[in-house]
Amino acid sequence: MRVSYEWLTDLAGVRDVTPTQVAEVLTMAGFPVDEVRPIDLSGLQVGRVLSQRPHPASRHPLWVHEVDLGDHVRSIVAGAANAVPGSLVAVALPGTTVPDGTVVRDARIAGIPAQGMMCSERELLVSDDHGGIMLLDGGKPGQALEEVLPFDAWLDVEVTPNRPDCLSHLGLARELAAGLGRRLERPFMPAFVDGIEPPGTELIAVEIEAPDLCARYIGAPITGVRVGPSPRWLRRRLFAAGVRPINNVVDVTNYVALEYGQPLHAFDLTRIRGRRIVVRRARPGEELLCLDGQLRRLDSEMLVIADAEAPIAIAGLIGGEESAVSEATTDVLLEAANFDGVSVRATSRALRLRTEASTRFEKGLSPELAQAGARRAAALLAQLAHGRVHLNWADRYPRPQDPVRVRFRPEQVDALLGVHVSLQEMESALRRLDFQVQIQDDGSWDLLPPVYRLDIHIPADVAEEVGRLYGYDKVPATLPGNRRFSWVAPLPSQERRLDGLRHVLAGAGFTEAVTLALVSGALLDRLGVAERAMRVLNPVSDEQDTMRTTLLPSLLQVAALNANRGRPAVSVFEVGRVYLRRADRPQPDEPVRLGALRTGLGSAEAGRTAFLELKGALERALDALVPLQVAYQRDAATLFHPGRCARVVVAGRPVGYLGELHPAVLRDFDLDGRAVGVELDLEPVLALDVPRRACPLPRFPAVHRDLAVVVAEEVEAATLEETIRGAGGELLESALAFDEYRGSQVPEGKKSIAFTMTFRSPERTLTDAEVDARLERLRRVLADRHGATFRA
Amino acid sequence: MSEDGLAQRAREIAAEAVGAVARAAAPEELERLRVTYLGSRSELMAMPRAFRTLAGAEERRVLGQAFNAARTAIEAALDQRARELERSRLADLAETEAIDVTFPGIEPRIGRLHVLTRVQREIETVMERLGYHVEVGPEVETDWYNFEALNLPPGHAVRDMQDTFFFTSSEDLLLRTHTSPMQIRAMERLQPPIYVIVPGRTYRRDASDASHSPQFMQVEALAVDEGLTVGDLKGTVMAFAEGVWGAERRIRFRPNFFPYTEPSFEFDVSCGVCAGRGCRTCAGTGWLETGGCGMVHPNVLRNGGVDPERYTGFAWGLGIERIAMLRYGIDDLRLFYENDLRFLEQF
Repeated sequence: MRVSYEWLTDLAGVRDVTPTQVAEVLTMAGFPVDEVRPIDLSGLQVGRVLSQRPHPASRHPLWVHEVDLGDHVRSIVAGAANAVPGSLVAVALPGTTVPDGTVVRDARIAGIPAQGMMCSERELLVSDDHGGIMLLDGGKPGQALEEVLPFDAWLDVEVTPNRPDCLSHLGLARELAAGLGRRLERPFMPAFVDGIEPPGTELIAVEIEAPDLCARYIGAPITGVRVGPSPRWLRRRLFAAGVRPINNVVDVTNYVALEYGQPLHAFDLTRIRGRRIVVRRARPGEELLCLDGQLRRLDSEMLVIADAEAPIAIAGLIGGEESAVSEATTDVLLEAANFDGVSVRATSRALRLRTEASTRFEKGLSPELAQAGARRAAALLAQLAHGRVHLNWADRYPRPQDPVRVRFRPEQVDALLGVHVSLQEMESALRRLDFQVQIQDDGSWDLLPPVYRLDIHIPADVAEEVGRLYGYDKVPATLPGNRRFSWVAPLPSQERRLDGLRHVLAGAGFTEAVTLALVSGALLDRLGVAERAMRVLNPVSDEQDTMRTTLLPSLLQVAALNANRGRPAVSVFEVGRVYLRRADRPQPDEPVRLGALRTGLGSAEAGRTAFLELKGALERALDALVPLQVAYQRDAATLFHPGRCARVVVAGRPVGYLGELHPAVLRDFDLDGRAVGVELDLEPVLALDVPRRACPLPRFPAVHRDLAVVVAEEVEAATLEETIRGAGGELLESALAFDEYRGSQVPEGKKSIAFTMTFRSPERTLTDAEVDARLERLRRVLADRHGATFRA
Repeated sequence: MSEDGLAQRAREIAAEAVGAVARAAAPEELERLRVTYLGSRSELMAMPRAFRTLAGAEERRVLGQAFNAARTAIEAALDQRARELERSRLADLAETEAIDVTFPGIEPRIGRLHVLTRVQREIETVMERLGYHVEVGPEVETDWYNFEALNLPPGHAVRDMQDTFFFTSSEDLLLRTHTSPMQIRAMERLQPPIYVIVPGRTYRRDASDASHSPQFMQVEALAVDEGLTVGDLKGTVMAFAEGVWGAERRIRFRPNFFPYTEPSFEFDVSCGVCAGRGCRTCAGTGWLETGGCGMVHPNVLRNGGVDPERYTGFAWGLGIERIAMLRYGIDDLRLFYENDLRFLEQF
């Protein structure tokens, strides 16, 4: 909310604080001030126009003025003709920057010297009026303008939604005064305005058909108004608060809304058909041409103000065009009402319209505030628009505000704050905020919050008020301690355990990415991985409308982005969740997965090597979590190359896939070359309970043997390895395939797989003869079982 | 030859050999001299065969001494010369084997952890030292946990503070707008005293720009115990801030409003760029808005199954990206999720 410093300090009755100090006090009271913009009038002077004559040479209408500045007279050229001789004006001399940012230059216009500028209201940020030169009510030539026009500054104040009472200058003035240790003199409820006959209730009838949505409706008829411009002080305050001045009647409703925080509306009384106001839900098909020129369709969820025939306003949001106050209006119906916040908010959202009124109502206002606003506006309309206020307003109040009483013990406040606040200090703080304090015989306090404070219910709310004014900087900082402590085992978190895997992958050359969980649903559909996807009802863009079901597309996007920026080969991984809809309950599964991707591989052979490297890195990474054996089974999963994909199996359970990415998938991401990737669930791995045990170091030397096994194409390394392990006996320590060969040395349709084997006994040094005998047996078994031959 | 002649000959050989060894210029030459003078076919090594035929023990003794003296002298000369040659070879290393030490290093092909992971872990470490443990929970949440249990009633304007993503599959589901649903879940799962920290992804319906992202990371701490005070909250936030930023930074508490805490605060950390004097980073205020906190509202304790008459609690939370941005001078939130390697490789 934009606030006028001049208005605020006037209401608070403080004259001795700068705008920056005001900002500091409000910020520490819980109303952060984002910006302070002083309206700098220094360097501007009062001038008296001595003469005015048309410019002799200009083709546009211009007037040349002689202006008395006290100690000298200047020639000033202006386009407006209203600064007739005798007028007092605000003069800016060359070199001055006026508040709206215009820099005044020393110039000649068609031969006549222009030695300064007479300012308009807009140039001085008094209003948006640029139609003429602003004429001053007082001052003498040469006097500093600051002495004639009170200094002002604009403050941008954040008001939290629990304090709609402070969406007003009066509310913030109270906070300002309280923060400075003072109390606002002015009572919250203005005095009743003496009314004339006939009673208001004879001029208008008010009926509330929807008391659930309207707790109170005051209709105050004010007749005989003369619509015209508001006085400058009022226009200036409105403008400072960001509201455009229109005419005295409309301006008064806006002014009171900004002063008290109670939205008001003025109808032209004569346009209300049947002299009846009905507060009801809209009927199907009803429409309203609103003040902003828009025709809005209403529905039966929306509350409207209707006359005998049709809606004339949308409650708490905007008035209708037909019933609006115009230049010709003489009789006004002033509306001060209380509408339900949830309803106003719903209507505001449905119509996509937010107004000064709706932002206040939707937070929930006190119905008592309606009366204060009505009284204040009536008095101002009488004063500024010659309005005649009638007695006996139509005031329907079907749901009076419940009085609130909070009982607490002052020690409770101390206990919550962690500091002792003296009873005097506590009481003073609460009284400065308009609370009534009744101290009971047993030492407990009964607290009656002011009617406009709907946010105070429990002792903790009171503690907050006391703490704010006492000053949280005075609360000593302590740490919880010396209390009963039930032990929570300090096991490392899952994320911290997964760091072991992260570090191994980083060591293997992969950089960690963190990608967005919201992805494009169309992309998942196209890739065929949209099964069980959760779709967002109200996405901000098509690119982020679905929760990801797999990590690899996100990593492919990372690769594509880097390729576009000149890095065609990347190695990246991510540890993150995917989101999978469940049939048996609304909330999805959110398994934590590992995804890794390496792109930019040039050839089929490079793809094979990268596959094996990724496999090796994966095994080391998983080993950092749990010591385990990983098994692989040929598979053809979505996204993967059908001939180069393995299902990854851990402890008998498939957890994911490893392989080359399908060329068509890479093309979808505009990626050149080949890529290998892996994606698997980590939680089943973390859940394994495999203890890591140390093995004693061998005491006897090992004997190594290599064996090149020539077999048919379809025989896989893992199968041979299994046979070797089975036939090798207890002396075979390890067997590992290390080379694959096709070519002139082996027959067509066959391949050679070379194994390196280690034999060792825990009890003695093996002899060559012993090992050769084992090897011979191995050859026989391999030949029998797989038709293997052997290369030298 | 007589025994005297043999002894004399041994001394001559030794003298000749020692001279030759002293003149040798390379290790290979020393090896050759060793063969010449001490090899199995050398004259010296043939002597024992010759004097074995001599009858007298005394003669054999004299000859033996002469032979041993000669051999020892030659061996000593060989060893000494070998050491000398090695020393002079090493003395030349600076000239013979010099490399350009200013040549750029060869970087190992090693990846890096994401900056958000690093910062998150750092935050967790500080809090774990204070006795908190990490709890994580679902990102796709129900209205109850994200809003209603936290004192944010349906239809109320306070929900506008957190514009929310919903799902097509159920009206009740949403993407959590903060990590606070875990306050309720932690209270349901654990008995007081509760000291937990909750890091995780959160979502708000904001368009993406330099300071907004529809997805971001929060971390939240919750303490529920007997007799916790605003002072304890303040001390905990200060201990945290000192752990993350260092002891010279100051903390400021400003009253604020959150429906789930009462009283509520925002906390600011003094600007590290200007030490609180006011600069561009802190918009001239000397303070950096850092996070929100407060004493857990009694309704929230009740909704978590905790008796507010017996226990009080406090909670604070902040955005992990913001911490990282302040720490490293990063000016655009989008960089974290774009994963341009030129960015990631800076951390």
